[in-house]
Amino acid sequence: MSETQTSGADLSAAPEAWLRENPKLSNRQIFRHALARFAEQDPRLVLLEADLGGGGDPFEARHKDRYFNLGICEATMLDMACGLAHVGHVVFAHTFAPFGTMRACEQVRLGMAYPRANVKLVCDYGGVSGAFFGPTHHAIEDLAILRSMPGMLVLSPADGLETILATRAMIDHAGPVYMRLGRNRVSRLEEPRGGFTLGRALCFREGSDVGLIAHGEVGVSVALEAAQRLESQGVSARVVNMHTLKPLDEAAVLETAERTRLLVTVEEHTILGGLGGAVCETVCTQGLGRRVLRIGIQDRYDPLAGSHESLLRGHGLDGAAVAELVLDSLSTRRS
Amino acid sequence: MTAATTDVRPESPSEDGLDSLQAQARRVRRLIVRLAATASGCHLGGSLSLTEILVALLGRVMKINPGEPHWEGRDHLILSKGHAAAGLYAALSAFGFFDPEELVQRYNAEGSIFTGHVNARVPGVDFSTGSLGHGLGLGTGLALGYRLKGLANRVYVICGDGEMGEGSNWEALQIASHQRLSNLTVIIDRNGGQNDGPTESILSQAALTDRLLMFGFEALEVDGHDLRALCEALEAPAGKAPRAIVARTQKGAGVPMFKGKGPHYAVFSPEQLRRALVSMGETP
Repeated sequence: MSETQTSGADLSAAPEAWLRENPKLSNRQIFRHALARFAEQDPRLVLLEADLGGGGDPFEARHKDRYFNLGICEATMLDMACGLAHVGHVVFAHTFAPFGTMRACEQVRLGMAYPRANVKLVCDYGGVSGAFFGPTHHAIEDLAILRSMPGMLVLSPADGLETILATRAMIDHAGPVYMRLGRNRVSRLEEPRGGFTLGRALCFREGSDVGLIAHGEVGVSVALEAAQRLESQGVSARVVNMHTLKPLDEAAVLETAERTRLLVTVEEHTILGGLGGAVCETVCTQGLGRRVLRIGIQDRYDPLAGSHESLLRGHGLDGAAVAELVLDSLSTRRS
Repeated sequence: MTAATTDVRPESPSEDGLDSLQAQARRVRRLIVRLAATASGCHLGGSLSLTEILVALLGRVMKINPGEPHWEGRDHLILSKGHAAAGLYAALSAFGFFDPEELVQRYNAEGSIFTGHVNARVPGVDFSTGSLGHGLGLGTGLALGYRLKGLANRVYVICGDGEMGEGSNWEALQIASHQRLSNLTVIIDRNGGQNDGPTESILSQAALTDRLLMFGFEALEVDGHDLRALCEALEAPAGKAPRAIVARTQKGAGVPMFKGKGPHYAVFSPEQLRRALVSMGETP
């Protein structure tokens, strides 16, 4: 974290202009600027850290009285968040995804989900974005775990703009929210956004052969790239950005199933229990009798060092591999 | 205890005040023993060990308003050892948060708020507890939240000595000390027993008071069944650090037939209830 101040456009009033002026910020940096900006108008906001704030945080710089670096105590950070929320504070707790969702898992369950506490757990290092740091710093199970907790909202924004809009939306939502971000990737999608509503997926591209349903910094961009490649092969792909995994926009899943011949989920998360699992649940529950191809982390850990991109490629999480898999699957179905 | 207790209280409990607290402790114990005689029984030993702690807090030390459980000026009590729900419910009912007879009728019954571990839906309770090692973190957050708002509400957390095995407690102690949360008081019910046996033979909590001192707490040790000593320790003016009180207690205290070694859990038959009440000098 380097910049504590940005100048020019106002992040809150003109997020797109602000993003153009700050083209090198990752989503997790953008989140910090957004929270610091929104806190100017909202004295209820408190930010808790467990020694992974990174230093130079804009929230710390501008709202020092409401910023608490509690030390390396993720579990207690989440219990404390519940206590703070109990007396009316809107509490953001930030750490890396493996620690926030697994080290502190029971605190998330009992301190956030069960009492429906107004606590927002925001974690970066989602998926394998921790890359060469190894599996201790990967989180491939977080969404499955958090999604299973009653009352929890689960968000995975696709790019910088969506990160700002999601941060705004989670402040306005009274209740527990988990937002998952990546590490250092810079994500700026060109797709225009009509807005952002919790629980309402965005269709980024219409298509009739295959429906690609994706979330997050990696999933959505991989799906969009695959769609472009498929188009050049004469295959028409619909791309849905499912930024809210819970509550899942079931109508968007049904609509995609109706308009296409094959459903595919694309995500940087184990294929078990995340978006892939959620879409399968919907398809089965609604009795659609449709096949769902789940693209994601292939139910294994990555013990060896590698760049983020190379780890993703190892799981088939790149545009070319997804397009190929879709083509294979469509031709298999025809024969 | 009826209205908001913002009244000025004497500096130390008068003999009259103590008598009344002692009477309440007897009343709470009678209720706890009756809860052990309900269909599913209760965590008896650890509910009886903290009776005086609860009575000192709810009956004298804390600002509460039983008629308005969510009164903004209230102090908070978090029973981190939430398995002792019978003790907390009995004390809350004795001090007017709800009807004691309703508690006895509804304890652990189908569809009841009176679950076997502490339920936040019960009037006077803020957080559901029973998974151990959460109360101190919750209380630390609450205390920080009040300080941030510039409010004087105080937070009292009761932990069990066996519960101190949970690492999260030591996280919370470090943070409360570092943040100098002088509006937080931790009381440890040092009854020496836990689910599987004596705490000292399972995971020793030796030198607990010393360790709390070393962690930066104002720590002291008292006889946890001595209401006067408890009140004095709890009511001493706040310093700059959070306070920890190690209350030496006995599992099953107040029921002489247990000889200080009450069971962790008990489901009493009508005959056992009668014998327990007789041993307490109560009319069965």
